[in-house]
Amino acid sequence: MIPLKLTASCPPHVLSGRTVRGLMIETLLALCPAAAMAVWHYGLPALRVMALCAGAAVCAEWAVERLSGRPVRVDDGSALLLGLLTAFLLPATAPWWLALAAAFIAVLLGRELFGGLGGNPLCPPLLGWAICMLSWRGLMKPEFAVLHTELVSPLSELKYQGLAVADRFPALDLLLGQQLSGLGAAQAGALLLGGLWLVLRGRLRPHIPFGFLAGTALMALVLQLLRPGVSAGPLFHLLAGGTVFAAFFLATDPASSPVTRRGMAAYGLFAGAMSVVIRTFGVWIDGAFFAVLLAGLATPMFDRLRPRVFPAPGRG
Amino acid sequence: MSGFTQALTRGMWREIPPFRLVLGLCPTLAVTKSADNGLGMGAAVIFVLVLSNFFISLLRKLIPAKVRIACFIVVAATLVVAVELLMQAFAYPLYQTLGIFVPLIVVNCIILGRAEAFAAKNGPLLSIADGLGMGVGFTCSLTVLGALREAFGAGTVFGARVMPEAYQPVAFMVEAPGAFVCLGLLLAAMNALGRDAGQPPAGCRACGACYEAAARREGGA
Repeated sequence: MIPLKLTASCPPHVLSGRTVRGLMIETLLALCPAAAMAVWHYGLPALRVMALCAGAAVCAEWAVERLSGRPVRVDDGSALLLGLLTAFLLPATAPWWLALAAAFIAVLLGRELFGGLGGNPLCPPLLGWAICMLSWRGLMKPEFAVLHTELVSPLSELKYQGLAVADRFPALDLLLGQQLSGLGAAQAGALLLGGLWLVLRGRLRPHIPFGFLAGTALMALVLQLLRPGVSAGPLFHLLAGGTVFAAFFLATDPASSPVTRRGMAAYGLFAGAMSVVIRTFGVWIDGAFFAVLLAGLATPMFDRLRPRVFPAPGRG
Repeated sequence: MSGFTQALTRGMWREIPPFRLVLGLCPTLAVTKSADNGLGMGAAVIFVLVLSNFFISLLRKLIPAKVRIACFIVVAATLVVAVELLMQAFAYPLYQTLGIFVPLIVVNCIILGRAEAFAAKNGPLLSIADGLGMGVGFTCSLTVLGALREAFGAGTVFGARVMPEAYQPVAFMVEAPGAFVCLGLLLAAMNALGRDAGQPPAGCRACGACYEAAARREGGA
């Protein structure tokens, strides 16, 4: 008898018209304002880094899928998004090889090694960023690009000059991205706009981003009350550095974040709180990205925070 | 003499630690920042492993089964102290680089593993061969891993420059996380090689169910 071959995809079997491609395109659209702001602030070098990263990511994904015999799905835009997110973390002065290395590491080590889209245990752009940061710290730190721009980084001012200097940054300037950082990572206002649009469109569940922002604000408030005159307030921590970027676009990476509502909220709160803790007590200037990586490692534990089974087990 | 040759060569490729026999990972990850360190650590392990296998195989009839682990540890600890003193006398810079990982050879799983799995059941000659093979295999692995990490992380191998001047060292590779990534990639490569030769993946030797299932599926298709 010839065995009957049935192919069943994973449930739920609902045709909603939602595709990976659609999700990726909408996320890319949401990133457009921030990309435009980055080009406005840093000029053509910003465009160069974005093009290099996105191109390298797409090429690497296509090559791996071809070589490993997996179906080639590079046209779903996920690699393009990954490359762009990686570029947003790099400074505008990154040399060409650094941009390529970050994108290749993000795609190969961050995602394809674990089985491609949906299999990554950590946020791939952050993995690329972290490995490059540990390897070429001088070239990766946006603060070293100070010769090429008049912007200054509020977080390093806070770290090295103290609160009095950091308090001079008007919130509106921070919101407009008038701060030295990775390309798009600190375009707080533009990213907030894109992120809120994604939430309103239902493409992002609000638990992680708002949990992240709430965690950041709460921890900043606690530290400000504990150490008045030394720690910066919640508004500063929300707008300075990559908080908004991490909250809406990095922590929400679908494969490496929890799936239950409670888990997502706890994950967001934890990552947000950790980002302020790392900024305040760590050696790294912007803790938001490391906080997301740390929370990503704890995702399996956050996923255990799920509603009680009904009826409760053991009671029949 | 085929038994002797087999015992000698087993650890050099077929069960090479730590790539096939996934034991002794602590020194593998910690001291392979450079090829030099890997080789030095490997040499110390060869010394301890050969002699501990030899003594344990001589004592195997005397050691009561219930306290055998403690006895193995005492033998290994004695030898490690000897190695430590020898290193302090003749290779002090190496001793300083390896630091705490020299005394930690006592609890290296390979020493205990070979004592339990081989030396406690076989004669002295075979045990020496097994210890030598395993030790040489371990040394080769550590040296290769150290050379890889040193080449990418510092641009040198055994202190000699191998990368062009313009190469920007990937400092990540000589940091602790680089050890994990590098070891993982090498394990994957060894598994890929072993899969072609029909061996189960490293670390799955005890079970191997997934591998057998895959083999059955491929055979049946």
